[in-house]
Amino acid sequence: MLKNVMMLLLLSFVSVYAVEEQNIKQVMHTKVNKVLLVLKDKTLSQQQKEQKNLGVMDDIFDYTIMSQISLGNRWKSLTENEKTQFSHAFEKKIKLSYLDKLRLYNNQEVIIKELKKIKPTRSTLETEIIGRDGTYKVIYLFYKSAQNNQWYIYDVNLVGVSIIQTYRKQFSEFLKTKSVKQLIESL
Amino acid sequence: MKLLYLCVIVTFFVFQGCSTKEATSPTNHEQAKAKATTSIALQSNIPDQQVLEDHTEGFEKEFSEQETNNTVDPLGGYNRSMTSFNDKFIMYVLNPISKAYSYVMPQPFRLGISNFIHNIQFPVRLANNLLQLKFQNSSDELERFLMNSTIGIGGLMDPAQNYMHVPIHDEDFGQTLGRYGVGSGFHIVLPFLGPSNVRDLVGVTLDTYVSPLVNVRGLENYKIPDNLGQSIGIVAGTLINKNSLHLEEYESLKKDAVDLYPFLRDIYEQKRNSEIAD
Repeated sequence: MLKNVMMLLLLSFVSVYAVEEQNIKQVMHTKVNKVLLVLKDKTLSQQQKEQKNLGVMDDIFDYTIMSQISLGNRWKSLTENEKTQFSHAFEKKIKLSYLDKLRLYNNQEVIIKELKKIKPTRSTLETEIIGRDGTYKVIYLFYKSAQNNQWYIYDVNLVGVSIIQTYRKQFSEFLKTKSVKQLIESL
Repeated sequence: MKLLYLCVIVTFFVFQGCSTKEATSPTNHEQAKAKATTSIALQSNIPDQQVLEDHTEGFEKEFSEQETNNTVDPLGGYNRSMTSFNDKFIMYVLNPISKAYSYVMPQPFRLGISNFIHNIQFPVRLANNLLQLKFQNSSDELERFLMNSTIGIGGLMDPAQNYMHVPIHDEDFGQTLGRYGVGSGFHIVLPFLGPSNVRDLVGVTLDTYVSPLVNVRGLENYKIPDNLGQSIGIVAGTLINKNSLHLEEYESLKKDAVDLYPFLRDIYEQKRNSEIAD
């Protein structure tokens, strides 16, 4: 009985500090393993896998801040309505892209390396994907939310290419000639 | 006494349980995020608003610093059409060939070829690690070459990485030039080979002198191919073999593009910058 209680206690501790600094590595480890388990599970359909995997990663990705950064200074000039519309469209785009990349998964091993603190409110977690003919570095960039002191992912760097930076560049080029409304539609 | 302990633990656990739900339930997170957005919307909570603004500015600075510079693009028009040519080449020529090739050639063989090609280009990596004064990396590369060429059956296998965990340090002349402060110059899309820039084009030219896989007049003893035809054959073979190990990745990447040419250009420049900084 006591053993069980202790076990539950321990487990609950792990999730309480889910996205606090000292546990980022632990949480990401659990999450990545969950995603890999789902991907390897042959009893699930493709759709079920995708649903499950989105659920695992959802609470640690901050889509709102991502869409804000991706628009850069243009974000401020948007109306409230446009901001919400854009955030929604962007969130959908990011999720689809993430799922699409997961489809390429082919039993690669994922190694979680060290967590580096860049600034008081920024940390990066380096991971490595061991592919068939090479190793690929994937870095998750975390920021500390001022509202609840939790850590969220605001960008992912794949082999030296920042996903949000890439979108930023594309959106700023797009908005040189076209309107925000067209951008939302194209997403 | 035991009972008391148990009671304390149980109470603790019960409270813990509550806070667990609060902290981890995804809906709560979403609510928190939604709250954050509405607070901007209503502009009621000034401190919160300020914090968010500060945040955005921090991000703005961080991202604009790392932005790749491509204001100068004199070959823009050519690059754009070459990108769409390369795109068609990949989709209608390279991919079907690679698929057929991967069908007749089992994966272990293709990996062996890939390892062999990598191993034989060791002089390029050694020279550039040395030029960048990366002595530890140079010695790693030398160790890898010696081990893989012998125990790894002429480079067909990679025991250095798989068993001895000696890491690869990929360096080329483009990276060496970048390391010593040479700017990227304008972007050039090469036929069949894809994105490049002035600096890397110079780099690739220098690489071909050192790489045993491309023939150069006057260095016949050192080079494997005897003429241009054979060199092209080797490059094409390498391209097909590599692509066969990465099928569908290009298609998947392409889906993230709003406009293909600036997208591929930006990815290439970002990747090169990070390789140089490494």
